[in-house]
Amino acid sequence: MADSKVFANFRTHLQPNLNMKTLKLILLVVFLGAGSLQAQELSIKVSTEPITMKIGQSVQIQAMVVDADGNKIPDREYFFFSRNRRALSVIDSTGMAKAIKHGEYSIVVISPDAENGRLRADVDVVIEPEALSKIEITGIPDKVYAGVTVPLTIKVYDEAGFERPEISVALTSSNESSVAVTPFYKLIAKSKGKSIISASVDGVERTVSLNVIENPIVTINLESEMTEGRTGDVFLLSAIALDKNGNEVLDAPVNYSFTGDSYDVSAAPSGLMTKDGKFVADEPGLYVLNATCGSVAASVTISANKRNISRKIDLIGQGSVNNKHTSDLWIWEGVDGKDYAVTGTWGADGTAYFWDVTDPASISLVDSIQVDARTVNDVKVSEDGRVCILSREGASNRKNGLVIIDVSNPRDVSVISEFSKNLTGGVHNVFIYKKHVYALSAGRKYYSINIEDPANPKIVGEFELDTPGHSIHDVWIHEGIAYSSNWSDGVQLVDVGNGIAGGTPANPVQFASYAYPSGSNHAAFPYKDEKTGKFYVILGDEEFPYGLDPDGRKPGRAAGFLHIIDFTDLKNPKEVAWFEVPFAGSHNFWIEDDILYAAFYNGGVRVVDLSGELLGDLNRQGREIAWIVPEDPDGYVANAPFTWGAQPHKGHIFYSDWNSGLWSAKLKPVVPKDVKIESK
Amino acid sequence: MRNLLIIVLIGCWHLVVSQNYYIYVTAESEDEVALIKFDGTNATVQETIQIGIWPAEIEGPHGINVSPDGKYWYLSVAHGNPFGTLYKYSTETNEVVDTVMLGLFPASLQVSTATGLLYCVNFNLHGDMVPSTVSVVDPEDMMEIKKIETGVMPHGSRISSDGLFHYSVGMMSGELFEISTSKMKVTRTLNLDEKKEMSMNSGGPMTGMDHSKMGRSKAEKKMYHSTTKPTWAIPHPTNGKVYVAGNGSDEILEIDLEKWEITGRLATGKAPYNVDISPDGRYLVASYKGSGETGVWDLKKGKELGRVKNTRKVTHGVSISSDSKYAFISVEGIGGEPGTMDVIDIKKTTKVAFVDMGKQAGGIIFWKME
Repeated sequence: MADSKVFANFRTHLQPNLNMKTLKLILLVVFLGAGSLQAQELSIKVSTEPITMKIGQSVQIQAMVVDADGNKIPDREYFFFSRNRRALSVIDSTGMAKAIKHGEYSIVVISPDAENGRLRADVDVVIEPEALSKIEITGIPDKVYAGVTVPLTIKVYDEAGFERPEISVALTSSNESSVAVTPFYKLIAKSKGKSIISASVDGVERTVSLNVIENPIVTINLESEMTEGRTGDVFLLSAIALDKNGNEVLDAPVNYSFTGDSYDVSAAPSGLMTKDGKFVADEPGLYVLNATCGSVAASVTISANKRNISRKIDLIGQGSVNNKHTSDLWIWEGVDGKDYAVTGTWGADGTAYFWDVTDPASISLVDSIQVDARTVNDVKVSEDGRVCILSREGASNRKNGLVIIDVSNPRDVSVISEFSKNLTGGVHNVFIYKKHVYALSAGRKYYSINIEDPANPKIVGEFELDTPGHSIHDVWIHEGIAYSSNWSDGVQLVDVGNGIAGGTPANPVQFASYAYPSGSNHAAFPYKDEKTGKFYVILGDEEFPYGLDPDGRKPGRAAGFLHIIDFTDLKNPKEVAWFEVPFAGSHNFWIEDDILYAAFYNGGVRVVDLSGELLGDLNRQGREIAWIVPEDPDGYVANAPFTWGAQPHKGHIFYSDWNSGLWSAKLKPVVPKDVKIESK
Repeated sequence: MRNLLIIVLIGCWHLVVSQNYYIYVTAESEDEVALIKFDGTNATVQETIQIGIWPAEIEGPHGINVSPDGKYWYLSVAHGNPFGTLYKYSTETNEVVDTVMLGLFPASLQVSTATGLLYCVNFNLHGDMVPSTVSVVDPEDMMEIKKIETGVMPHGSRISSDGLFHYSVGMMSGELFEISTSKMKVTRTLNLDEKKEMSMNSGGPMTGMDHSKMGRSKAEKKMYHSTTKPTWAIPHPTNGKVYVAGNGSDEILEIDLEKWEITGRLATGKAPYNVDISPDGRYLVASYKGSGETGVWDLKKGKELGRVKNTRKVTHGVSISSDSKYAFISVEGIGGEPGTMDVIDIKKTTKVAFVDMGKQAGGIIFWKME
């Protein structure tokens, strides 16, 4: 009765809008709701205990849909998947699981249901590890001299062939008076004698015999190429180990180390000593450099003075762009002998700006061009100053590609042609070298495009890695070698006309590479030090570990540093140094006359001395000459430096900033020491 | 039971008073997603959500959809090093819950009500012309379970209302693919170009480039280009048909699921791109990318009721409200123009509101009414 009254009242209230059709709909909803409630009582029944398997074993995973009373519901479909298919595989349609590697895993089983929504359950699986089977010991030299430390590498494997890094072995020596065992698998060869070294765990044992021979070394003559230098200078040590007859012991295992006293009481001595006897000081101070072999030691004392290369840097001029983000820049001498710049824009309307920078203090906008793009990410000008290439991303027709522009008169630029063949995926970066454009395509490869006739460009070659998931960010050509930055694949050196590997633009040939763990390789620039003969390639990382600002307007902060790779031996590149700016991240950079000009996003432009051999932490060594951070209260984001790239040109430093446009600066000249400036 | 009835009746009461509609729209060249509210009269951006992790690289949010329970929205982000990413956001906070890497240029996506899994096509728009895939993702753990090979450049995709079949089209291979969501494999393929002339390269229509060696210049090969160029596929909720946008042939194809053949063609405006069907099954709304218009069709009559000129050029996505009243249209714009969302009253076939948002408005999905 009460229900009827409620219903009647409701019906009266809704009279203008409620009709029989709607009423039937309501009742249908109620009925379906009741049915849904009933269906929710179904579940998938699986094993509540973890299933235990052995490696190589196959097991049929059992699952069935049951009702609230535990009755099996017939005609249900199931599929399965593993959360870690490389360790535990399962056939999705049958639920046949195979154990591949030990560990704890789970399989998900789903029973689809078109009416009531899927049912899902997890099945836990434990794959038992196989018994241990062998221990490998490496690192034992042919000759072990008394007094040295021998670090061992020990690996444990099980019956299935998996390495077991979590297993520790017990290490013993049969003759502790000759060979002592220390933590972290190191042996100390104390005195002449024989010893059996045993490594054992869980009934598995491996032994190696060690024959410690008399250490013939009685003296080490240690010399340093120089005894006084600056922080950042590399002191090269030469250690000659001699026996009692004065003969050199050629295979003497010499260890190098250092101690020191800082000249600054508020700073600790700091530096880097390499295994082959190179030392570099970070802090000015007096350092004792040691060479030891067993109980024989020698040392030299050196003084590392402050590098003292700081110079003032003056802000000279600005070409303001504050209504959109600015991307890259390129400075060149025009055919008329004046100096010009081109800058791109980012996330905007496809505009590129042309500037007269002949007087860096009066940067003036002379022309602009708008192309169908949202981002003109890269801008380059040919060596003869006549042709400019703009890269496009976000074109409205999604064809992207390049725009080729006549800049023989930068005050009146004009489009020669557009080229998007194979470049529809967006061209993130380009380079022009000897009438060829090297253009990235969709972040996967680059094409070499002949522009001898800029009105009719044509693709002549391409370069692409074949590693899984390869990706490319930038390419830079110098003396016929293309240096491409390939994220986790690192830098690739490719001959596109140098001749070193027989490559041409039509037939690029890769001949060297270097990758490193960060996987963030974003830019590369080659550099040869004429004095030392060293050939370096500097690789920059771009990282954003701090995420985005939620409202997109605050200053951004980047991370990532520059890696200095010694490529002097092309077959054995070695990472030797780095340049890092705390709380900032590297972007584009340029090297000229032993000086690095690096844009570091929120860290502005950093000017760094690269002269001499490079080793260790270049920033800590005081190699930074100057820095300048563009802050513009009228910027697109006010006072938010985010420097994109830097380029030296005729004694000035030009740089583009994402939030404020184009800038110029100038280093003050070097003032020689002990020079008095007299005025009349 | 009485209480349940009261609750249901109160819910229905709300249906007859004015509603607020909420829609998510991606801004592909701005790396943003806009949450837009339409109150029946005006459309306003309620919130702009920054997406991605690279402030100085456009990552390209493209496809978007909401989970069946309304708790999460999923976003495909096209660009990466080199693979794209699927993001899972909470609709409550609009914050990232989790991510998983997919294939090259992931695009349209949807969660199946029958399996609970998410199916996303890997469009690979700018890559080599080789068969691409549909990624199957467990959205609870945000883990890719499987990649199912389909055609060249799979773009538009939608799942049947019972959640059992996923339909997608290969834009350049000109095919419609039916995937069993539970078996996770292709069950049927239909060549939409039918007897139209095809130009084949030496290896067949699906052959891709050989990249087994580095640094070698490649001679160009002729690739098959579909004349139909299908860009969207959507199954009707009840009539046993799938509708495909023929972007290259200026038509909507009607495919009978039982016969598995094309049984009808609707001549449209230029370059139909995305399609949606009203939940009541009555209307089909298609974006005409080439002419900057939206077409409204009465499927019962098989007739186009009208075309609505969109606010800007490059009409992109369509999503219809759950009450079948409004179609929400994303419009990309050109260059530095903002993107726009238009609101079309379906019955009246007129634009009733619009709102500007981030550049290159693309992926769009109706979320809820309240």
